[in-house]
Amino acid sequence: MTISNEVSNDAPILDVRNVVMHYRTEKGDVSAIENVSFSLKSGESFGLVGESGCGKTSMAMALLQLQAENATFKGGEIVLNGEDMLKMNPAEVRSHRWSDISMVFQGAMNAWNPVHRVGAQIKEAMDLHIRPQLSHTESRERIASLFEMVGLDPEMMDRYPHEFSGGMRQRAIIAMALSCDPQIIIADEPTTALDVIVQDQILTELKKIQHDLGMSIIYISHDIAVIAEVTDRMGVMYAGKMVETGPTIEVFHNPKHPYAFLLLSSTPSITGPRRKLAPLEGEPPNLLDPPPGCRFHPRCPFVTDQCRTEEPPLAEIGGGHRVACWNWESVPPLSEGLRK
Amino acid sequence: MTDVQAPASTRPLIKVEGLQKLFPIGSSRFRAPDAHVHAVDGIDFEIAPGESLGLVGESGCGKSTTGRMLVRLMDPTAGSILLQDGDEMIDIAAIDKRDMLRFRRRVQMIFQDPFESLNPRRTVYDTVAEPLTVQRVGSVPEREMRVAKLLDLVGLSPADTFMFRYPHELSGGQRQRVAIARALVLDPSFVVADEPTSMLDVSIRISIMDLMLSLAEEFGVSYLYITHDLAVARYMCDRIAVMYLGKIVEITDTEELLSNPQHPYTKALLSAVPVPDPAYRRPDVLIKGGIAKAIDPPPVCRFVDRCPMATDFCRTHDHPDLVDKGNRHFVACHLVESSAG
Repeated sequence: MTISNEVSNDAPILDVRNVVMHYRTEKGDVSAIENVSFSLKSGESFGLVGESGCGKTSMAMALLQLQAENATFKGGEIVLNGEDMLKMNPAEVRSHRWSDISMVFQGAMNAWNPVHRVGAQIKEAMDLHIRPQLSHTESRERIASLFEMVGLDPEMMDRYPHEFSGGMRQRAIIAMALSCDPQIIIADEPTTALDVIVQDQILTELKKIQHDLGMSIIYISHDIAVIAEVTDRMGVMYAGKMVETGPTIEVFHNPKHPYAFLLLSSTPSITGPRRKLAPLEGEPPNLLDPPPGCRFHPRCPFVTDQCRTEEPPLAEIGGGHRVACWNWESVPPLSEGLRK
Repeated sequence: MTDVQAPASTRPLIKVEGLQKLFPIGSSRFRAPDAHVHAVDGIDFEIAPGESLGLVGESGCGKSTTGRMLVRLMDPTAGSILLQDGDEMIDIAAIDKRDMLRFRRRVQMIFQDPFESLNPRRTVYDTVAEPLTVQRVGSVPEREMRVAKLLDLVGLSPADTFMFRYPHELSGGQRQRVAIARALVLDPSFVVADEPTSMLDVSIRISIMDLMLSLAEEFGVSYLYITHDLAVARYMCDRIAVMYLGKIVEITDTEELLSNPQHPYTKALLSAVPVPDPAYRRPDVLIKGGIAKAIDPPPVCRFVDRCPMATDFCRTHDHPDLVDKGNRHFVACHLVESSAG
């Protein structure tokens, strides 16, 4: 027992290996997630960034096995605590979902059922996933302590969603995600609809809870400034592929995939010198018919012939920093920017 | 009356004085309202020709209401909006229906959501040419030339491949380019842009902002640029006005505002903006809670309940005026006033 525990301290609690997921549509297969791998250690926070349609929310849904009905897995493994979720039957998946891995959904406004009290909705999740079931009093006590943890007045549990402000609803969503004591929380755009001051409060709360409970969090966001603040490691997705992963500070200070480089170069900031930003030309590809070779090659300023035909692997370049690009060594330091 | 000067000695293009918008609550045909939301409550500012003024603040602070009044999509409750017209200033707030047509040639708007602001049954040509048709500008071939030129300018080229497409055939970024072409087709002198890039992906955002900047330079258009994103405002705007619950609490040049914020609300807002650098540590945000609605607010400083520095003086005196602290840096705060030597 002790030995396996020591091993598992180092082993990731979640290991996503070469996952391929397609959506079947009338027009053909949409290659939404193509050969994506990353792992998450206990207590760690991992960020997934990318533009809309790059596959980050599809990835989150796949982790919870809540993908759309027309989604099919063409390969890969999602290993949660040593077990492959893609091989589990629906009942086994349900026993892990919410109690081992839960989610803070995007859009706090729409995640609640308007006709039920917030506390009752959290209790429902607990009744479905906590075994043995808690008594009514135990449930209420647990919800009260969850509310306190996320900075809500416990009396609010008997109120309806419309009585909550946007920030309060998002806090309640976090309370619900915590309700079954999961090891992993997936936070999909947890603060996108919120004003910056409320966003700051929610992110601070999440960081504190993560620290107190020793949880792992996967943050998904299109806002790379948020990812910079809250994650230890991150991955950049483009058109269904993972193009760069590594320690957050390394990816931000030394991006080596041209897409990550351009994304960072085109992000305005209120700090640092006021500078002209480099726009990313073109549009992401249609995933019904993705370009051959590297999927970024039609928009890439560093493109060579090899990129048009051969797909670059996600290869280690040192210090846990991986890049899927044939020409990563030509990408200049971020401070020099891109000169035409 | 505070005089919030536009830069340089040029006459302002837009001069807003005591602008106010109240929304009644609980009123009906036979019943007087119980109360009013003071969405915009007596604001003054000026915009110089070719200048871009950013209006920032949290949702519900009145920034969109201000923008809508400036293009007269909404009638102000009180105050005036003066627009330079040749040698005189005309009051937009007092224009009657007959003169509206002429006014619309000068002032246009770009909306936030390019998925909702374009009519799905109209082609790009129909949408961009509509202002020309309404204003009876030029003959049909001339209008076609003008639309083609505008589409080229906003980066939808070659224009004839886009002219007869429908909005659903365009991406979000392309739709916003159509909306910009429509706003500029009459060669207006003033454009209100309400969060024009907030629905777009980061990579597309910069090209739209660059486009708006280059068009401003080319046509000498002034913008009122409404946004909640201070980093975007910094990229786009010469000056920034910070709004809180219907009041402008601080207004000055962009870099001055970022490097030397004076109002406690501006300070809090700036410290809450995430920075795209994992090594950067933001200062703690000192204010708590969220923005409320200004329903018949007491006459004291609007920010007093959330202000970490509020004193008894603030709780007993009227909302402070915007006062110049030097360098055309205007702040509405009793405490800054008393501390500035």
